[in-house]
Amino acid sequence: MSKKDAGLDFSMVIASTVHDMKNSLASLMQAHGQWQGRLSDEQKDTPERGVIDYEFAHLNGMMVQLLGLYKLEVNQLPLRPEYHEMDDFIEAQLAWHEEVLNSRALVATFEVDSLCPLGFFDRELIGSVVANVIINAIRFAKQSILITVREEDGQVVIVINDDGPGYPADMIEFQFDHVQGINQVSGSTGLGLYFAAQIAGRHQRNGVCGRIELANGGRLGGGMFSLYLP
Amino acid sequence: MLAYNQKKFLIVDDFSDFRSSVRSMLRELGVKEVDTADTGEQALKMCSQKRYDFVLHDFNLGDGKKNGQHVLEDLMVDRLLSHEAVFIMVTAENSQAMVMSALEWEPDAYLTKPFNRAGLAQRLEKLVQRKTMLKPILQALDRGKPSEVLAACVALTTKDPRYAPLCLRYKADALRDLKQYEPLEAFLKSILADRPTPWAYAALGNLLLKRNKATEAQEVFEAAVKAFSGMPILYDGLAEALVARGDVVRAQKVLEDAVRISPLAVRRQTLLGKLALDNQDFDGASRAYRQAVSQGQFSRFKNPETNLGFAQALISRGGDQGLDARTRVEINQTLGDVAKDNGDDQGVQVRARLMKASSVQHSDPEMAAKLTAEAMGRLQNMDQFLSANAALAVATQLKSLGHADAGAGVLKTCAEIYGDDPVVMQGIAKQTDDPAILGANKAAIDLNIQGVRSYKGGNLAEAQDFFRRALALQAKNISIALNLAQALLHSLATAPDAVKLEECRACLKMIGKMPSDDPRFERFQKLQSKAFGA
Repeated sequence: MSKKDAGLDFSMVIASTVHDMKNSLASLMQAHGQWQGRLSDEQKDTPERGVIDYEFAHLNGMMVQLLGLYKLEVNQLPLRPEYHEMDDFIEAQLAWHEEVLNSRALVATFEVDSLCPLGFFDRELIGSVVANVIINAIRFAKQSILITVREEDGQVVIVINDDGPGYPADMIEFQFDHVQGINQVSGSTGLGLYFAAQIAGRHQRNGVCGRIELANGGRLGGGMFSLYLP
Repeated sequence: MLAYNQKKFLIVDDFSDFRSSVRSMLRELGVKEVDTADTGEQALKMCSQKRYDFVLHDFNLGDGKKNGQHVLEDLMVDRLLSHEAVFIMVTAENSQAMVMSALEWEPDAYLTKPFNRAGLAQRLEKLVQRKTMLKPILQALDRGKPSEVLAACVALTTKDPRYAPLCLRYKADALRDLKQYEPLEAFLKSILADRPTPWAYAALGNLLLKRNKATEAQEVFEAAVKAFSGMPILYDGLAEALVARGDVVRAQKVLEDAVRISPLAVRRQTLLGKLALDNQDFDGASRAYRQAVSQGQFSRFKNPETNLGFAQALISRGGDQGLDARTRVEINQTLGDVAKDNGDDQGVQVRARLMKASSVQHSDPEMAAKLTAEAMGRLQNMDQFLSANAALAVATQLKSLGHADAGAGVLKTCAEIYGDDPVVMQGIAKQTDDPAILGANKAAIDLNIQGVRSYKGGNLAEAQDFFRRALALQAKNISIALNLAQALLHSLATAPDAVKLEECRACLKMIGKMPSDDPRFERFQKLQSKAFGA
């Protein structure tokens, strides 16, 4: 307590501000959605709408992530793992990004291996990781995004693949550094990876930790983000 | 797409913009019947008048109001919402941030603002699918039949083993309700060995506590707190285990940690207040009780003990130096409220007056004397029994207010009612050395033990005789009277006898004076319905 009294905790100030910003953004998005609902299809389908929807989702994702990082830092991010049906989880993610995908004319599909068991994870935390990866994929994809879920050695693997140019070579080469939070100069991507890796790592089973992996290629040939959950 | 046109929806949110936005999303999905409410109280009222299929409830409806968790608890406990209905908690941010205060009732899903129509439609559809799949289990829950829940779990798991994990918790709760403790313990341990969840830790710890294995329970909760450091309910369990082991000091520290994570919990703050009071930490006790009183206004866990404890803490904090004006106002307020809210509870009326008298003992002796006389008058005419803890507190206060004789009288009655409980007798022994109080019930208790032995051996007539003789010595002892009533009912089942039935009913009438929070109250109610029912 005495520490707090000594002065302003700047990270807390930022976190509180971001919290308020996020609530403002939520109202803004809600109002925008209602307004869009009153427009004719012709009036609706403008290029600006694509920008607005994307940036809304992007801003929201960044703020969720920033708050998440703050809570990680102050150890306020409790894990609440539960069993989840994987098709439900992925469907929910895509539904949330429906407008952005439509306005960018991107086709997003998902395939959940029918033999894949229920996943065991914290829905909101893993959800925020997947949402950030999808937003990133939307930014780079040309036409399509593919999400697959399969089981591998008792782990559930979620792969998000796009048909864009792929991750830069040095990012793939040094992904371990990003994950460690060593190289954070490249901006949001590095921080995002750090956040994703932290959250994946908190999911453990009998000593095996969750992890993330970056690569290029896959069925769509572009960036490929894999999330392993034990 | 599912057909929603027949479904009834309730939206609860304090922002009208949000209500209308969700309403129009639902309309677009084909929903015809949408009601809205802006407070939890209103939501509860509406749920008591109409059976809703879907409730979308905002978690935070403003400071000093019922929140979504309070409403969910009330809905489930008061059975205003079917298990088949869908309850979605809408949160302004990631729900991790507001660490839920309870684990017992969880919403079917959380939905984070903002959400779009596609997102809402997807959630609703999936939740309906899941509820349809679990339907046999949910219907059995609505009927309150744990054995049917268990059977439904087995059936579903056999049909599709992939869904076995969704049944775990239903199965565990059913085993608990069926009192199948051995299988339940093994089952929970197997879950924890593979994939630890907070609920499984809590269930195992509570089971061990119930079975008087406090040391093992403590180990389970220690492991749980380490694995899920953000879940306050696990700290509650650890504190309870520590109390059971007599480590009240550490229990208080653990609850202080829990309160730091989640200050919104009436029961936790109340317990913390009580522990702090026991540990002579009157500052801490005042703080915790103050929180409990102010939050309790909106919770179903509102309890007169909280207000009385708060006043006690404030008076003790003042010590011999007396009370400042602000503290006196706080005491008056909290005692006034509790007396007003519990007008029918004679025990609370007596205790509130005595507490008030203690608070003005030094500043206004005349007033103190007047209040004490009033309380003693009420005590005399009291029909109900005080709980053992209340009786001990009343006796202490009467003594310090200069009425040691009246205090001894309360202790004597307490020994008569609860004398078979060694913990109560220890409490009484702390206040008096009088052998007439401490030793009076020994003969009766011996007879009671012999009666239990005969009852177990199947000799009902002998058992009845022992119990009858015991009760003649200690006419108010609840345990003995319960035993006699039960032994009488047992023989009445095969051999009707008007005299014995009358005797049994008389016993139960006396036992009916016990406080309803007594652990034996459930047993009493069962016997009561047998003796007075059909």
